[in-house]
Amino acid sequence: MGKRFAELKPCISRRVTDQMGCSRRQFLWTMAGSLAVSNLSRFAGALPDIVYPFDEVLASASGIHWSHSAGKSPEKYLPETTGAGCAFLDYDNDGWMDIYLVNSGKCDFLNPNPPLHNALYRNNRDGTFTDVTGKAGVAAGGYGQGIAVGDYDGDGFPDLYVTQYGRSILYHNNGDGTFTDVTEKAGVAAPGWSSSAVWFDYDNDGRLDLFVCRFVDFDQSKNRPCGAGGKPEYCIPRLYGPMASWLFHNNGDGTFSDVTKSSGIAKFPGKAWGVVAADVNNDGRMDLFVANDTLANFLFLNRGDGHYDQIADQAGVAYSAEGKARSGMGVDAADFNEDGWMDLFVANIDGEMYSIYQNNHDETFDDMALPSGIAKATKMMSGWGLKFFDYDNDGNLDLFLANGNPDDLIESLHPGVTYREPLMLFRNTGKAFQNVSEQSGPIFAKPLSARGMAVGDFDNDGALDVLVTVNDAAPLLLRNKVGALNHWLGVGLVGKKSNPDGIGASVTYQAGDLKRTRVKVGGGSYLSSHDPRLVLGIGKRVKIDWLEVTWPQPGGSKERFTDLPIDRYITIVEGQGKSK
Amino acid sequence: MSRYLYLALVSLFVCAFFSLTSPAQVAKKAGDVAASGKQAVNLAKAGRCKEALPGLKRAAQHDADPALKRDAGFAGVRCAMTIGETESAIDFLRFLKREFPRDPDVLYLAVHTYSDLSTRASLELAMTAPASPEAHQLNAESLEVQGKWDEAEKEYRQILTQNPNRPGIHYRLGRILLSKPDFGPAMAEQAKGEFQQELAIDPSNAGAEYVLGALARQNQQWDEAIQHFSQAAKLDAGFGDAFLDLGMSLVTVKKYSEAIPPLETAVKLEPQNPTAHYNLAVAYRRGGRQTDAEREFAIHRKMTEQNAAPPGSSQENPN
Repeated sequence: MGKRFAELKPCISRRVTDQMGCSRRQFLWTMAGSLAVSNLSRFAGALPDIVYPFDEVLASASGIHWSHSAGKSPEKYLPETTGAGCAFLDYDNDGWMDIYLVNSGKCDFLNPNPPLHNALYRNNRDGTFTDVTGKAGVAAGGYGQGIAVGDYDGDGFPDLYVTQYGRSILYHNNGDGTFTDVTEKAGVAAPGWSSSAVWFDYDNDGRLDLFVCRFVDFDQSKNRPCGAGGKPEYCIPRLYGPMASWLFHNNGDGTFSDVTKSSGIAKFPGKAWGVVAADVNNDGRMDLFVANDTLANFLFLNRGDGHYDQIADQAGVAYSAEGKARSGMGVDAADFNEDGWMDLFVANIDGEMYSIYQNNHDETFDDMALPSGIAKATKMMSGWGLKFFDYDNDGNLDLFLANGNPDDLIESLHPGVTYREPLMLFRNTGKAFQNVSEQSGPIFAKPLSARGMAVGDFDNDGALDVLVTVNDAAPLLLRNKVGALNHWLGVGLVGKKSNPDGIGASVTYQAGDLKRTRVKVGGGSYLSSHDPRLVLGIGKRVKIDWLEVTWPQPGGSKERFTDLPIDRYITIVEGQGKSK
Repeated sequence: MSRYLYLALVSLFVCAFFSLTSPAQVAKKAGDVAASGKQAVNLAKAGRCKEALPGLKRAAQHDADPALKRDAGFAGVRCAMTIGETESAIDFLRFLKREFPRDPDVLYLAVHTYSDLSTRASLELAMTAPASPEAHQLNAESLEVQGKWDEAEKEYRQILTQNPNRPGIHYRLGRILLSKPDFGPAMAEQAKGEFQQELAIDPSNAGAEYVLGALARQNQQWDEAIQHFSQAAKLDAGFGDAFLDLGMSLVTVKKYSEAIPPLETAVKLEPQNPTAHYNLAVAYRRGGRQTDAEREFAIHRKMTEQNAAPPGSSQENPN
């Protein structure tokens, strides 16, 4: 979120500009902007007329009346503009996705009255939700940022890790609709300003470990009064010092050990927003891609001895093509081109363009943002929540982006950039990404200060829905209207030898001429957590010939299934050799 | 009197002065110069510039009193400009910048003096040869600076009616088209045509080649971009950005070995450019030269860290 426009104008030859004079320095910038705008409308809708892919579910219909409050102040403390996250989770294991929403709260610069709280909404299985926050005991109350969901103790019930500015919280799911704050016992408070977090098994011992992104060195006493044109403004993060993120090893007894130093993570202070855990070099170990704001991104490569190497610059994912650090915020990993290797995505701030990194299979990546059209489409945007998923169940991974500029004065400073920005949808045709935002209905024209974004099928129709959180406003629940027009199979994975959530597992399936592999990554997006089930789209095909699960270590086995149903969810339990 | 003759005479005078006079005489002479210098400054203040100038020149050379030298320098610039002795004005200005290099008043005076000199030269051109291509070109450039793209374009087109093959005009027309606020794909094609016409007239215009390369790169026409950047670099061996953009384009199309030579040149020409180091590092890395890559990555990292503003450096967001 830390860019400043002037410094981002494309580099043009000094030799030429010297000849041209100062007033002409921007000509290629102007040119590039015009090209970007002209390109947006090139893609005709690939979907039938009138049926838009997503419809907004109003609060009156869903029963979700909770709203985010940033606690905005005249001092413009930086955390006010960065939250918050959300999650789809099935906290009561009834097979229906519930919703968790993170709010601001009491901290050293805010003491709201009445107090603010997070919210847990139970899915009523009829399209409505009931607020069960109080009963569940997950209101939190600090200045919340994000949420990561994972069954860290393997009891079959998802637990919650709520990141906060101040001190984060681990809520253990008691299995009876209630949770217990076990932060102190577990040793995962992670003091400071935590942002995104991810559950994953970094040492392949079958237990979920925890990586917690840490943003800048900030508290009320360190707040800096920034301004533009005499008005107070949110500071760019460059003004604050970087901090190292946290890595906690799960000891298997309800406690965690801080392995930030021994793992090598501590050597790299950053300003981390988004994180995704995925195996980018296919060595069977989970790596971490971390988006930093105004600093180079990190790609922590898991070397298997409890140690990470940070190789982002060598890998080509640290900087822009010009070698400039950008304002990385949301991230994700997916094999969008189906070549068997995980690719990466990072959203940046306006003027910087987002990056889609294609894996070269040798621990390097190429940024395909320009040839894919994503660079032009996102040139003026600022991106936070994002996720690769197959919204139309045609078997290809599409891309959903939630946007919004962090600076509420941006419109007076930079014409052409807006504070509230629309959502974006890119459809993967199997050969290219098409920006279908303009053809995807009014919700993609609605200006939002979007932040968190989670994907989940709350109505169990096989069409993945989307939950978007909005800074200082109510969240947006979007029902997918097109995914169920194609056929699909939903798969829940339960690890036994492997980690309970099957993070790192891959599912390969064949349906006639369609062969696809889906990998279950840890995290992705921004401050948010997703439906743990994989939805395998098969288009108009009516049969899945076979399905093979490759479990992560220490299980590591492959299990093959045939005689599979379609258009319903199944659960595969590691080692049981069958689906149910 | 030319500046050089003047300085030579002053030098001779100073040498003679020190070789033929006693310390007491030196002190007396110094006092005389100071007195006459003050008098010259007062004459200048009274607007009697012609009378003041000789005394101001002497006082400016007087090394005993910095304040007097400064006053004399300022008065000298103003007086010389007032009576049209532009060479003397420039001499006084050079003297002030040499003696008081970081003085904001001096820098401010320099801005106004050079601006005034520029205006006078423009007027002289307008009065002397109002219909000349040079006069039209100057007017067009002025309109460009003001963002009056259409009017500037008309002026340039006027030059072409007089001399269709005048070098540099199609180049400038191309740039104007790229600068217009209503710029679009059609205008990009038009601009491209102007740069091509420029090259037909003046095949040595490296700037035109470079911009054609940049236009091709915007459209991801990498072969064409590489061709134009190569040509720009060939035409101007000191054109660092041409080498850099050539190398970056080659990196984009994964021709890493071919990218290394132009990027190495770019780094030599612009050693403080982090983009050049970064792309050279990438080319080395992908070209299998790991040690070289690590060296360049380290240089780039160091530059990037230095450029990152430390906390406490600014209270204002650098928009």
